[in-house]
Amino acid sequence: MKHGTFRAAVFAMAASAIAMQLRAAQPVELTPPVQANYMLNCMGCHLADGSGASGKVPSVRGSMLILSRSTAGRRYLVQVPGAAQSPLSDLELAQVLSWMVRNLSARAVPADFTDFTAAEVAEYRRSPLVNVRETRARLLAAAADRAAR
Amino acid sequence: MGSPIDAFVERMARGLAHRVSRRSFLGNIGALLFSTGVPLLPVARGASPTPARPDPAADPGDPQTCEYWRHCAIDGFLCACCGGSIHSCPPGTEASAVTWVGTCHNPADGHDYIVSYNDCCGKSQCGRCLCNRNEDDKPLYMPFKSNDYNWCAGSKVGISYHCSTARVVGVAR
Repeated sequence: MKHGTFRAAVFAMAASAIAMQLRAAQPVELTPPVQANYMLNCMGCHLADGSGASGKVPSVRGSMLILSRSTAGRRYLVQVPGAAQSPLSDLELAQVLSWMVRNLSARAVPADFTDFTAAEVAEYRRSPLVNVRETRARLLAAAADRAAR
Repeated sequence: MGSPIDAFVERMARGLAHRVSRRSFLGNIGALLFSTGVPLLPVARGASPTPARPDPAADPGDPQTCEYWRHCAIDGFLCACCGGSIHSCPPGTEASAVTWVGTCHNPADGHDYIVSYNDCCGKSQCGRCLCNRNEDDKPLYMPFKSNDYNWCAGSKVGISYHCSTARVVGVAR
C-alpha cells in the first residue's frame, strides 16, 4: 500500500468519525414505547438486561421463556406483584411481558412462542398471587421435569 | 490448505511488510487512532442501560443545583456536589444497581427523558446539596415508583446511603 493510499484511508476514517460526531448532534431518538414502559416499570429492579439482583430480585433471563410455555406459568408472570400491580393497562402489560420474553431471554425464543394478549392479562391479573416464591419454584421444577422426560 | 481469501490476505500482508517499515506503520496507526478519536485510556465503562444523552447544547442548567431539570424526581443528596457527577458515584461508593426510574421534561428540547436515579452506597450521607423533588413519586406501597425507598438495600456494599445520581437512559416522548 502506498503512503498516499494509507493517508487517504486515514482521511476517510477521520471524515467518518467527524460525520458520526455530527450525527450525534441530531435530534434524539425516542425509545420504543414498549421498551420505555419496561424501563419505567420494571427495569429499576430487574435491570436493563433482566438479570436482577442475586438473592433479592429474580433474573428473568432464564425463567421467563420457560414459564411462558405453560398456562400456569403465563398466569404466574401476569400475577406476580410487580406486573399485576403496575400502572400499565392490560394491553401495555401484555406488550411488555412479550417484549421481555423476546428481548431479555438468554436463549433464542422459539418460532412458536405466543405473545401475551390483553384478554389473557385481564383474565389472570385480577386474581392475587400468594406465595410468590413457592409458586415460582414449583412451576420451574415442573417445567424441568417435563423437559427431562 | 487455505482458502483463496486466506491466500489473498497473506499476499497483501507480506507485500505491506516489504514496503512499509515498522516505524512508519506504527506512526500511521498512531495518526489513525488520534484522528478518529479512539479512546486510548483504560477508562472503566460499567454495564449500564443504553445511554441516550441529550446534546450538551440542549442540556440546560447546573447539575449541582436542585433546579436542574434531570432532578425533577430526586430525593437525596446530589452526587455532583459530593465528588461524583450526575451519572457517576463519588470515589469510595458504589452505585446500587436496583433503583427507581422516572421521567423528567427537558425544557430545552421539549422531550421527556427517562431518568434512572441510582443511589451511591457504602459511605455515610454526603450532606451536601439536599434535593427533594417528587414529580410522579408514588407512596411506599408502590416501591418501584417511590423515591422515599433506600435503594441501597439492593446494593452489594450495604445500605449506607451517600448520594443520588440522575442518569438519562432513554427518551419517553
